[in-house]
Formats: sequence, structure tokens, C-alpha cells
Amino acid sequence: MFPRPIQKSAPWLQASYKVLLPIALIVWLLPLIGIAVTSIRPSSDLAAGNYFGWPTRFAGVENYTAVFQNSNIGWYILNSFKVTIPTVIGAVGLSCLTGFALAVYKFRLNLVVFFMFVAGNFVPFQILAIPVRNLTVQLGLYDTITGLVLFHVAFQTGFCTLFMRNFIKALPFALIESARVEGVSEWKIFRHIVLPLMRPAIAALAVLIFTFVWNDYFWATIMAQSADVRPVTAGMNELKGQWKVAWELITAASIVAALPPVAMFFLMQKHFIAGLTLGATKG
Amino acid sequence: MAEVTLRAITKSFGDVKIIKGVDLQIADGEFCVFVGPSGCGKSTLLRMIAGLEDITSGSLAIGGKEMADVEPSDRGVAMVFQSYALYPHMTVKDNISFGLRMTGHKPAEIEPKLRRAAEMLQLTHLLDRKPSQLSGGQRQRVAIGRAIVREPQVFLFDEPLSNLDAALRVQMRTEIGKLHHDLGATMIYVTHDQVEAMTMADKIVVLNGGVIEQVGSPLELYHRPRNLFVAGFIGSPKMNVIPGTASPAGEGRIEVTLKDGAKVTLDGGGATVSSGQSVTLGIRPEHLTPGRVGLKATVRLAEYLGSETMFYAALADGSEIAVKADGLAKAAIGSSLDIGLNPAACHLFDANGMAIIHGDLTR
Ligand SMILES: Nc1ncnc2c1ncn2[C@@H]1O[C@H](COP(=O)(O)OP(=O)(O)OP(=O)(O)O)[C@@H](O)[C@H]1O
Ligand SMILES: [Mg+2]
Repeated sequence: MFPRPIQKSAPWLQASYKVLLPIALIVWLLPLIGIAVTSIRPSSDLAAGNYFGWPTRFAGVENYTAVFQNSNIGWYILNSFKVTIPTVIGAVGLSCLTGFALAVYKFRLNLVVFFMFVAGNFVPFQILAIPVRNLTVQLGLYDTITGLVLFHVAFQTGFCTLFMRNFIKALPFALIESARVEGVSEWKIFRHIVLPLMRPAIAALAVLIFTFVWNDYFWATIMAQSADVRPVTAGMNELKGQWKVAWELITAASIVAALPPVAMFFLMQKHFIAGLTLGATKG
Repeated sequence: MAEVTLRAITKSFGDVKIIKGVDLQIADGEFCVFVGPSGCGKSTLLRMIAGLEDITSGSLAIGGKEMADVEPSDRGVAMVFQSYALYPHMTVKDNISFGLRMTGHKPAEIEPKLRRAAEMLQLTHLLDRKPSQLSGGQRQRVAIGRAIVREPQVFLFDEPLSNLDAALRVQMRTEIGKLHHDLGATMIYVTHDQVEAMTMADKIVVLNGGVIEQVGSPLELYHRPRNLFVAGFIGSPKMNVIPGTASPAGEGRIEVTLKDGAKVTLDGGGATVSSGQSVTLGIRPEHLTPGRVGLKATVRLAEYLGSETMFYAALADGSEIAVKADGLAKAAIGSSLDIGLNPAACHLFDANGMAIIHGDLTR
């Protein structure tokens, strides 16, 4: 069996494994722990230079309340949802269609189109910042939720298509052929056979894209300006304070802002089912 | 009426010609079996009839109608795939009725068809299961059920019974046979299995490298193979083939000198040979009798199957020969064996492998 279970290796290996694993885990989680602890510190701690020590008292409630009172973070979170949810639906929905087309139909430029989708992923998006901003301004989409959504959808669909196309390619093609011989229309084949079998892929992509877009800071700062549009990643800036950085508030806000992707993951988790095509073929 | 007519059909994948001109006429209600070695194009031919593969050239007609521009769904065919291709997320019931539901049939119309198919295939108690909860044989029956409910004129089966165990194969074989009898539809059936081909077929089509070697009833192919390929392909264990030379021996008879020097005189039955022409003598294992004067061989292997015994022996020139003997026959490995050869049962093939003389015991 590979990998070999650790219980079967030499004792010194087992011992070092038991020591090193928790250390690695803590090192890896350190930034997260740091943020979580900071978010419950009183501001006096930070002023006194107590960055990494034990908090002098628990100030979680007042920090988290302050975050919502001192800033429009509730509003920004709403904006984030307004950008993220349509993007996820748009990108995943479109890529289901493009992926199906590229995986199922043989047409002359099939591979060319597919490689164009893939190649788009290799363009560093930073170099697109200025042209995209100019374009949005010209189109009158600058500083609108619609603009952000459209551009996120455009950027994410490439990767989603790659993912979906390969997933559909891996489904038994005989299922589609069999339905064709039965006289089922192509749209119904997509709707009733392919789509249900894509559930794990859709769930995985939805979580991934949700997290990408929710965490996006780059386009949020480039394409949004007003508080009406600004998503939470950009909006958190507001908590910086005028004279000093209120780290306890920023960290608390970060934790709040990080919750939806986590929730999304657990919401979608039950759809990550392996072996959905079990029983389709002789196997 | 659903006769299937193939005229000069070819198929190329890119530059590779896979089907090289197939002419075939399958009558309405006939059970036609395609056999041939792996990769000879059986599935491809079947898929062309189904409309899943374009026809490169030639014409296909089903029920007298030209099929070139007809969609798979409108051809009146149902196909059972080499892999069963069941929809894994649907129950057996939904699998069977899917095609009908998607093509605008009313539930009241679907229900009786579903019941009847399920009863015919003994699936009634499994209707609410998913394919993953079924055994191989049950999955196979669902795949067939899906084909039945559409009441097609032509059934296409692509090796439906491969991957089933021997007992289940026998059972499914009779079930498909019964189905053919009950429905009276035209069936085209691809298989690797000799027994399936021999027992089920009205007509066997032997394919090799994209061309038809011979078409005929099972017994015709077995007893009157047109060439060496068919002779070797149909029948298990295979027909023995021994190279030699032939010369006319007067009175329409032909004398064959085998490689090891043995001579056999055959009744030419009207066929003629030139003197010293190189030929191949073919004789089935069951037409050889151990313990009679004839060929001399050394036993290499003996298989005692109970009802019969198979001897695999080597002639003096090293060529292998299989002998089917009575179950009580015995011979030690390495011992020499006299093999009696009935000239009337011998086939003779010319240098191109085409048959000159067929064995016929009534002569
Ligand atoms: N889509 C394809 N593209 C290129 N070559 C193909 C394609 N499909 C089949 N072939 C080739 O066509 C030939 C015939 O294939 P086919 O599947 O018809 O064989 P078969 O007689 O059904 O074999 P088997 O008994 O193993 O199922 C094979 O040599 C195969 O490699
Ligand atoms: Mg095949």
C-alpha cells in the first residue's frame, strides 16, 4: 500500500513524526492564531507592545462590536455577496456549458478554443489592470457591481472551463451515445444525464471560485471606488484609523470576512461525492 | 419490415481505413451475429448502423429507407452497449423509462411498457435500485430492458455478455434467444464467443481486418468454410491445417502428399488441381481417430475432459495436430500415436487459402 502507514515504519521515524507533525501544524497555523488572538486583545495591549503575549483581558466582544459600529463592514459584506454569488453562478454555469461543448462535440476548432481558454489562465492579470480599467470606464461599468461581476466571470470562466471539460471528458461517453440512440435531445442529455453527474465538480468549483472572488483585493481596489460597490476586502481599509492602525479591529474584521468562504465549504461538502458514476459500466 | 442493407460501406478514421467495403443483407426478424478477431471493426460497423459513427462511403438502409441523413434516434434502432452505459444516478425504473419520458411519451403509456419489460427480464423487484446496487447480470438485463421498451425494429448488441460468468452467460443467452423469438425484431449481435455465435445466430458474419470473410448459417460456416481464415476461426478447438502438395490421381480424385510424407487421396468432387500444387489440408479434431493407421504423431499433451479427451500431438515435421477422442481414450505423453484420418471429412485449400474441397461424409 502507498503511502505506507506510519505505524509500520521504524520507531525513531514514528517518534519524530509525532514530534514534528504538531510543530509543523503550529508553524503553519501561526499567522491564523496570531490574527485570532489579536482580534480579542484590548487596544491597550497593542499600544503597550504586547503583540505576541497573552492578552491582558478578553476584549473580543467590544472589538467585534466596534467593527460593526465603526465601519460599514456589514454593508461591504453585502457588497461582497453581491459580487461573489453572481460570479460563482455565472462562471460555473457558463463553464458547465462550455465544458460540455468542448468535451462532447467534435468540431474543427475544438482544441484551439480549448487551448485559448487554458492559455488565458497564464496571462498575469496584473498586466491587464490598466486596459481593463479603461475598458470599464468606457463601457460605463466602472465602479459598479455589474462591472465587477462581469470581469470576474470573464476571468474565472477560463479555469472553470478547463476543469469542467476534463471532468466531462472523464465521464463514460457511452452514456451520452446511449441517450442519443434513445432519441433524447442534446439539451436534455446535458440537463438530465451530464449535469447530475457533474455535481461534485460543480460543488468543488463553486467553493473554489467563491473563495477566489471573495478574497479578491486586486480588482476590488481597481474597479471599485465608492462605498456602494466596495467589497469587504477593500472596505476593511476603513478600519485603519486616522492616526494609528487599529490592528485589533482589522484582525477582527478579517475573521468576520473569512467566515463566508468557510461556511461555503461546509455547505458544499456533502456534494463532494466520489464514485457518482459507479455502476454505469461493467467496471 | 426492418431488413438492414449495407452496400459497399467503408469507414476511415483519419487516414486509417477500418472498414474496407462491406456488403451485407440482413433480413427482417433475422438474428445476425458478427464475429471476428479483436479490432476487426465489429463495433465500428455496429455503431455505423446505429448512426453513432459517420459512414465514410457506401450506403445503409433500414427497412428500405436510406439512413445517411437520419439521426440515430430516428432509425428505429436500440443499442445495448459493450459497457452497459446505465445512467448511474437513476433507478432501474428511471433508466428503463428515460428514453420514453424524454421523447414526450405520457406516463400512462410508459407504465405498461415498463411493467412488461421488467417482467420479461425479471427486474420487477429491482425497479427502485440504482445500477451500483445491481450485479453484472442484473445490469445487463436493465440495459436490455432499456432497449426493449422503445419497441425498436432493430436491436444492436455489442458483446453484451462479455464480463459475465459462464453460468450467467448461458442463462442470458437463452433469455436473449427467447426475446428474439417473442419480439420478432431484427437483431444484430457482436460477440467473441464461439458458442454464442453458433447457438444464437440465424446468420453469422465473419469479419477480418474490415472485410467480410464469409456470411452464412452457423453450420454452413462450420462445414463449408470459404477460406482458411473462416476454417480456423469458427470451431473450437480449431480445425487442423497441414501443409502439403496435391496432384491429380485419376477418376477425379486428388492425391495429397503431406509435409511428413503421408499420403491422402480425396474425392475431388469436380475440383481439379495441377500437379504438385501446394495446398493446405484441413481436418477438424473430431474427424481424426486415434489408434487407426494413418498419420504418425507424438503426443505432446492430453486433456481428459470426461466426455471426451483431447490429444495435442506433433507430426514428424513438427506441425501440431489436435485430436478429439472418446473420453475413455488414453495415451501417455511422449508416446507415439497413430491417427486415422477420414478422407471424406478433409477440406482442401489452395495456396491463397481459398477452399477447393469441403469435407462431406455423405459422399
Ligand atoms: N475513434 C476511433 N479513432 C481511431 N481508430 C478507431 C476509433 N475507433 C476504433 N478505431 C479502430 O478501429 C478498429 C476497429 O475497432 P472496433 O472497436 O470496431 O473493433 P472490434 O472489432 O469491436 O474489437 P473488439 O472485439 O476488441 O471490441 C480498431 O483497430 C480501432 O483501433
Ligand atoms: Mg468491440
